[in-house]
Amino acid sequence: MSILYDDGQQAIATESRRVLDARMDKDRLLKLLEQQGAWDDIFWKTAVEQGWTALALPEAYGGLGLGLVELGLVAQACGAATAGAPFLTVGDGAAQAVLAAGGDDLKASLLPALASGEKLATVAFAEGNAPLPSLPEARFANGVLTGGKPGVVAGLRADVALVWANHAGQPALVLADLTAAKRTAIDSFDNSRLYADLGFDQVPATLLVDGAPALSLAQTILARMAVVTAHEQTGGAEALLFIARDYANTRKAFGQPIGGFQSVKHRIAELYGLVELARANCIHAAASDGSPDFLKAAAAARLSATEAYDTTARDTVQIHGGIGVTWEAGLHLHMRRARSLAIEQGNMFFWEDLLVSELTGVAA
Amino acid sequence: MSDVDTYRAKARAWLQSMAPIYGRDARRGLSEVEDLALARRYQRAKFDAGYAGINWPTAVGGQGLSHLEKVTFDTEEMSFGMPSVYFGISLGMPVPILIRFCEDKAWMRERVIAALKGEEIWCQLFSEPAGGSDLAGLRTRAEQDGNGWKLNGQKVWTSWAQYSDYGVIVARTDPTVPKHKGLTYFWVDMRAPGVTVRPIKLAGGDSHVNEVFFDDVKLTDAQRMSPVGGGFAVAMATLMIERYVATDSAGFGPPLDLFVDLARTCSLYGRPALEDARIRSTIARNYAMRAGLESITTRAMKMMQAGMEPGAEGSLNKLVAVRSRQKLSEMAIDLQGNLGLHFDPHAFVKEDWTASWINAPTGRIAGGADEMLLNTIAEKILGLPQDYRPDKGVPFNQIPA
Ligand SMILES: Cc1cc2nc3c(=O)[nH]c(=O)nc-3n(C[C@H](O)[C@H](O)[C@H](O)COP(=O)(O)OP(=O)(O)OC[C@H]3O[C@@H](n4cnc5c(N)ncnc54)[C@H](O)[C@@H]3O)c2cc1C
Repeated sequence: MSILYDDGQQAIATESRRVLDARMDKDRLLKLLEQQGAWDDIFWKTAVEQGWTALALPEAYGGLGLGLVELGLVAQACGAATAGAPFLTVGDGAAQAVLAAGGDDLKASLLPALASGEKLATVAFAEGNAPLPSLPEARFANGVLTGGKPGVVAGLRADVALVWANHAGQPALVLADLTAAKRTAIDSFDNSRLYADLGFDQVPATLLVDGAPALSLAQTILARMAVVTAHEQTGGAEALLFIARDYANTRKAFGQPIGGFQSVKHRIAELYGLVELARANCIHAAASDGSPDFLKAAAAARLSATEAYDTTARDTVQIHGGIGVTWEAGLHLHMRRARSLAIEQGNMFFWEDLLVSELTGVAA
Repeated sequence: MSDVDTYRAKARAWLQSMAPIYGRDARRGLSEVEDLALARRYQRAKFDAGYAGINWPTAVGGQGLSHLEKVTFDTEEMSFGMPSVYFGISLGMPVPILIRFCEDKAWMRERVIAALKGEEIWCQLFSEPAGGSDLAGLRTRAEQDGNGWKLNGQKVWTSWAQYSDYGVIVARTDPTVPKHKGLTYFWVDMRAPGVTVRPIKLAGGDSHVNEVFFDDVKLTDAQRMSPVGGGFAVAMATLMIERYVATDSAGFGPPLDLFVDLARTCSLYGRPALEDARIRSTIARNYAMRAGLESITTRAMKMMQAGMEPGAEGSLNKLVAVRSRQKLSEMAIDLQGNLGLHFDPHAFVKEDWTASWINAPTGRIAGGADEMLLNTIAEKILGLPQDYRPDKGVPFNQIPA
């Protein structure tokens, strides 16, 4: 069920790109790489002011009532600019879970605060190297959470977290209040993502859903975040494609632009193919939100966008020669982001296996 | 249902009713001559049912519909294994070009209708030993001869020339100017004296391509379809028609489901092959690639429906799909181990991995080799420089052979 973007969607794409072009600054982002606990506040203020935090929430909770297609387009613009305080994707993921399974009071108190950017939410599903363990070790009982979650994006700063937990031997989704959690910063290759190991020692939490419906909702939320992230990855990959193209058209060696050498030229043409496949899968996945094929579509988007971003990062650096590996040129901002986004929302092993289980009914 | 969906449903119902007579199962075990005879009857049935020349003007026997209906029909047709292959080139390129560029309209109309009914077949005589990718490097000469022309030289890789009644041909009429400027476009009668066709056996065992020799073949000036020296532009127009063809994310090989079915029956180290990470990774990557191409195609169709020109990303189809099919076919043979050594040269490429594998390379060469497609993407879509071309601007007869 692929679509052509309508006028409103195209306007969102153009406008978000325009705003970010005007406000993003490579040097600011480079500085963030060497700080812990800092994120791009200028971006975050922009996101709030532009209504991106409210985009996909219903109007009844202070949202704009738009969908995954629109959120994806904003994420794509963010990806192109390596912008993105970490909250956009996971904030939406947590909000959607509350919307789907939370009580009315929780919805009324939390969702408007998330829409306005006043509160920040994250999602903590993974344990060890498993993005969504079948039965997690973090335990929920009697209104409190114990255990821990490693490498939680936005974990240093978020107010609440949607946590994948074990509730009396059943998997469950709970919403934890992070003010009482222990946050240990991770010194990461992409520090502005605010990665933290979270420790829960009797942390107050609210049960949203448990048992089989919890697994189904967790998969849907993870798939939704994977689709948003896939857009961000595609945006980054496309930006790199153009950077590579422009450099190949201007840098000269042996009396001609290096883009005249086929090994360079064909490499860039291959990148175009990867970017377009990723884009096509993103559009299809975003438009399939709510359909029975959503998991498959999300997995396809995730796999092709990760491949596109990693490969464009690798090859664009290569095409730049020595300048490509300098701190100042900043291509490593993309290289780093390509890898951090590849891990957030589940690594490739996870998505390959999920997709094949969906296609064949056979688990890994 | 949109108009296209209605059209699709109707076409599908018709194809289903025809499948027992003309489809894959009906064709099993036929010799090529028998298959061609069946194909001609099928083409006639299409003509009678209004599925021939779908997007051609009604004045020449077409249906006067758009590219959209044509691509829709072709896409549906693909899954039935109908014998349409003999007319693929004929109705795909030479005959549409004839409609556009032939001066003698009455004669043209007769030919077009005969071709639509499957009575006559046209071939495309472009490639030569000296010029495939480098089409403008061709050497076949057409020299002025009284009021007409005299043709000498050799073409190669001409699909279905052995069954063709006519062909379109590009020949050199002036070797003293740079290569693109000295070419002229004609149609030629394949039964004319001096035309010799010799089939070439391909790696997979079949012989649908040919060498064609021209030895003092006479052409009238009415057979000329371009200005003298203006043949390259008409040749490019011929190749541009390809923008609106039905695509296949399977690269014209088997569907991914067939690979899954095969994996379901195999085990590795006593465990089901579908549990093996390498097999799973292959399936997942293939699915993602095909889903991407299908999304591109769906959007292209929607753009056509909206009266827009489909996006440039459509040019990725053949490049991406065929080489993936080649690798997946290798993997399917691998998966069977020693049981994968069996080969049936008559198997259909859409349902047999070995047939798909051995014929896959032709798909990466015919209709533009992978490397030329990459050049086109780089130059036309991304604006990267043209290759260094030492023959640029040099009179053809001064280019070292
Ligand atoms: C099954 C089949 C059916 C065909 N049917 C027809 C037909 O009906 N009519 C017709 O006219 N032709 C037909 N062809 C011919 C086809 O168009 C040519 O084979 C094709 O264009 C390649 O030309 P070539 O074989 O001369 O290879 P070459 O042009 O010699 O190419 C050899 C290799 O060099 C590479 N190469 C060439 N130039 C460049 C470059 N600038 N940059 C990088 N790499 C380059 C190619 O990519 C290829 O890998 C058919 C071919 C096949 C295989």
